[in-house]
Amino acid sequence: MCFLFYGGVVILSIFRDLWWFFKKEKKSYITGIAALLLLALLGLLPPYAIRHVVDQIAAGSLTVKDLLFWSVLCIGVGAASYGLGYFWRIQLFGAAHRLGQLLRNQLYEHFTKMSPSFFHRHRTGDLMAHATNDIQAIATTAGEGVLTLADSISIGSVVIFTMAVFIDWKLTLIALIPMPIMAWLTNYYGNLLHQRFHVAQEAFSDTNDKVQENISGMRVIKAFGQEEAEKKVFKELLDDVVEKNIAVAKIDALYDPTIILCVGVSFFLTVAFGSVAVVDGTMTIGELTQFTIYLGHLIWPMLAFGWLFNIVERGRASYDRVQKLLSMKPDIQDQVNAIDKLPTGDIQYQIRSFTYPGSPTPALEDIGVSIRKGETLGIVGKTGSGKTTFLRLLLREFDIQDGVIRIGGCSITDYKLHRLREAIGYVPQEYVLFSMTIKENIAFGRPDATQEEVEEVARIACIHEDILEFEHGYQTVVGEKGVTLSGGQKQRISIARALLLDPEILILDDSLSAVDAKTEASILKALRENRANKTTLIAAHRLSAVELADQIIVMDEGRIVEYGTHQELMENDGWYRDMYERQQLESLVLEGGA
Amino acid sequence: MAFRRLMGYLKPYQGKFWIAFVALLIATGTDVMIPVIVSKFIDNALIPRQLDPATLWFYGGIFLLLQVISPSLHYYQLISFQVIAQWVIRQLRMDVFSKVQHLGLSFFDRTPTGSLVSRITNDTEAIKELYISVLSSFLQNIILIIGVFIAMFALDVTLAAYCLILLPVFYMLMQTYRRLSSKVYHVVRSKLSQMNAKLNESIQGMNIIQALRQESRLRTEFGKLNQEHYVAVVKNLKIFGLLLRPATYLISLTTIVLVFNYFGIQSIAGGAVRIGVLYGILNLLDRIFEPVNQMMMRLSQMQQAVVSAERVFELLDQTEYAPQKEGDGNPVIRHGRIEFENVSFSYDGKNDVLKNISFVAEPGQTVALVGHTGSGKSSIINLLMRFYPVKRGTIKIDGVPLQCYSDEELRSKMGLVLQDPFLFVGDVRSNIRLHNHDISDKKIKEAARFVQADTFIEKLPQGYDEPVGERGATFSSGQRQLLAFARTMAIDPKILVLDEATASVDTETEEAIQTALEKMRKGRTTIAIAHRLSTIQDADLILVLHRGEIVERGNHQELLAKKGLYYKMYLLQSGAVLLETNEQTTARSLILNSPNSIFGRKL
Repeated sequence: MCFLFYGGVVILSIFRDLWWFFKKEKKSYITGIAALLLLALLGLLPPYAIRHVVDQIAAGSLTVKDLLFWSVLCIGVGAASYGLGYFWRIQLFGAAHRLGQLLRNQLYEHFTKMSPSFFHRHRTGDLMAHATNDIQAIATTAGEGVLTLADSISIGSVVIFTMAVFIDWKLTLIALIPMPIMAWLTNYYGNLLHQRFHVAQEAFSDTNDKVQENISGMRVIKAFGQEEAEKKVFKELLDDVVEKNIAVAKIDALYDPTIILCVGVSFFLTVAFGSVAVVDGTMTIGELTQFTIYLGHLIWPMLAFGWLFNIVERGRASYDRVQKLLSMKPDIQDQVNAIDKLPTGDIQYQIRSFTYPGSPTPALEDIGVSIRKGETLGIVGKTGSGKTTFLRLLLREFDIQDGVIRIGGCSITDYKLHRLREAIGYVPQEYVLFSMTIKENIAFGRPDATQEEVEEVARIACIHEDILEFEHGYQTVVGEKGVTLSGGQKQRISIARALLLDPEILILDDSLSAVDAKTEASILKALRENRANKTTLIAAHRLSAVELADQIIVMDEGRIVEYGTHQELMENDGWYRDMYERQQLESLVLEGGA
Repeated sequence: MAFRRLMGYLKPYQGKFWIAFVALLIATGTDVMIPVIVSKFIDNALIPRQLDPATLWFYGGIFLLLQVISPSLHYYQLISFQVIAQWVIRQLRMDVFSKVQHLGLSFFDRTPTGSLVSRITNDTEAIKELYISVLSSFLQNIILIIGVFIAMFALDVTLAAYCLILLPVFYMLMQTYRRLSSKVYHVVRSKLSQMNAKLNESIQGMNIIQALRQESRLRTEFGKLNQEHYVAVVKNLKIFGLLLRPATYLISLTTIVLVFNYFGIQSIAGGAVRIGVLYGILNLLDRIFEPVNQMMMRLSQMQQAVVSAERVFELLDQTEYAPQKEGDGNPVIRHGRIEFENVSFSYDGKNDVLKNISFVAEPGQTVALVGHTGSGKSSIINLLMRFYPVKRGTIKIDGVPLQCYSDEELRSKMGLVLQDPFLFVGDVRSNIRLHNHDISDKKIKEAARFVQADTFIEKLPQGYDEPVGERGATFSSGQRQLLAFARTMAIDPKILVLDEATASVDTETEEAIQTALEKMRKGRTTIAIAHRLSTIQDADLILVLHRGEIVERGNHQELLAKKGLYYKMYLLQSGAVLLETNEQTTARSLILNSPNSIFGRKL
């Protein structure tokens, strides 16, 4: 009883939360549910027809006209039911799929608005799970959930009502005795099954982990000759999986026999007590036949009722998770009255301190740099010294707590975010390409670019020749299902992608690390020629990438430790000069010492 | 093809299968007997009003008996088929897993870990559904349909014969559904996977999408895929609505009309109609439509499972084995003399990563391999460990070609320490012992003491029983290395193969590692990849590799005197070491005093 109450509360709460959608899809739901009700009523007719035919045959009073009438009635019911059965499926399930579609679009749109910190907090796998499994569970609630609720109530009440009122209420009571037991048992099995299934899933996931470990550690396994031993361990895990799955099967296999038994007992009671009534003359043989057929019609509503609780419980949890995601606000938003103008001019960094959300220590401190329009700034330093943070702040991936970055005299927070991004061409450290053709990748920021424009920037990025060597040239598909590109090729495509925008400000975040020294030099040369009067920011590990910059900053632990042109820094006896000399030697070693 | 092979897996369980099958037959038999009994009861007792206690007890008794037999046998057969499916899948998984254990590393180089894991677990799981669908669903439903027809024939031969028309109707319905739905089902699945791929890619590249302001374009693109998916789903829904439940319901009503017309016409013609038979036939017919629905709904799932099965069998048929022992005889490694003779090697058959490598490591000597990334150091070790077959040139141990040794001999006499010490889930003890039961607890402790891992192990809350999580993430990289050392020392190998770690560890552990390495090398032939030249100054032979060739060889002093590549590497590294310890002046003077003053010219 307690379970029924709890289940009722869940059903009410989730259907109340989905009410906006039901209202939106009023027509589908009203007509769909109406079709279900009509079907429940129509379902009463064929047994009624059978009763009359049976009684008339028994009495020997059947005429051709009667037979024709009942035949036409049944076929009519069949045809109508066929139409209605098709209709409600399209209405209800169609609406449920539209809900899934709607929520997926909402979620996707929401993702596109979220700031990087959101994607740091949530793993891709989790976000994917919300967009797939959770939405599926919600759609099931709006489809199968509504169906099972409507069906169990409508068919259940209509059939029981007809049995009790039009045939025999005493027999109805007797025949229904096993039904609540069946509902209770199947619900009990459901809970047990859920627990055991969970245990079995864990065992399965253990084997998954084992296989993962085994394949990752294959070298060690082979080196120590552990193949046979590994097989033994895996076998034990598999035995465990089998054992736990059989425990599941033992419950799962109870459903059918329980239904057979309960329905059978109910049937037995009906025939036994019904026969007495027939002998007493209070019931005809036709009525008894009709009654037993109705009894068969009650199995589905009973099962549907148990199923309903399962569906809504899952739907409830999923809906809450999706709503929680959708209610999150992006960290970075346009200010009220933001300037709708393309930022241009000198860039000024005045940052007292910047700390990543959730981090105890500041990532940047006391940063003061001015870059005149058209200049190139080089940023160097060890891994983790703050180079990337320095660049990401200009893109407003995060907002600065204490300090300001200005472009053309206005703080970047004063511009519309879209305008700011329009001014900047960004080539990130980790090269992100999409699974589409190379041309589409390069034209990602300007999908309407012509082939000539794409080729021109590909030439500047020194990737044109490489692309022509692929079988399909610019139409070659990149990614899992397409060609595998080397790190250097991906970097150069990313550069071409940024160059196509011809941005006011170009950011290269260690974007030349995977190309060789010669190619790097020609890319840098081409950039200088093509970007006259435009600002460029280059972060690099290899100092040769910033040698010709107008000014270079050396960063360490979030601070600027050295500053100047290449010449000035070389005269300075610091990290820059040490590093420069080491790298010269390194490249010599790489060339084989020649 | 794949289907037949899958059924072949049932062979070992034939006995159990047939018993379950008989149980299924009897259970189905009792199921269809019940309407027959009721039918007889109506015609022989109820209608003629012969309701004496004996008759009632007779019918009631049989009814209740059948009612008890049927669920019990059903329970038995359902579990049996499930158990068989579980054991079959266990065998299949074991087969794939075993297969994978013996494949060569060249196979693993080519195949992403994720897809292999998916073959062994997820694909076999999909196949499990096939067994359960076929065994539990198809078999049972088909038997039930046959049983219903037998019972109908027992009640009324002519009517049952008329009803046979249902079979081709069902068959056509299923064929049509299968043909139409498989296409649409495929579209639904591919749209779904495209949509998920797009979503996944967008989440990962969101900063780029935002930086390039393509949010609205991608929203449109995603919306388009979403819409296409919806259209496919609705199409699927329509096929379902037209051909599944509503259709079988229509057929069932038509059949009912057929049945009561058959009896009605008999009645009108003045024949005696047995009401019980009419009742029994109606009841039986009611039972055959749900099985048809069940089978139709399993069809697409089955097709999916066959695809999975094909992938699994493809892996099972893989022949890229790890190199195996060749020839008879059981040579034993006694001294540990290693000889490379003109060895060349290529992973892809096109680009040689090793070219004419020749060298000798006398028993007890240390040979160090140096060179930058991609110079071929690791390939030498891969060949020596027999991870890849040697096709050009020969590698000999104690004068016997490598391929003549048995796996056991090689694995027990050669100890490999990898750069990334791989720890297994378990505890410290099991990570040192692995699954080698010849290694006693005492030996484990000795090995740990020998490499000085005992100090940190004993400080752990549970000592040698301290649990090790996935990849040993709770241990520092230095500790992981020491454990890997202990693991190697526990088998007390004749030959030591070291791939020195580049990862930096804290000074204290670093010292322990160096002392341990020195002790381990004593009395063993050692082939070591060295990243830090400081650790191999006492090596008997240093081979400097560049692009797959040995460009310099000799001991530390000889190589320094050559002032070649080794010398430059040494300068670079000693500079690095000194810079880190803030003795910059010394470092610079050392470099600048070098004769071919490389800083004079610009590269």
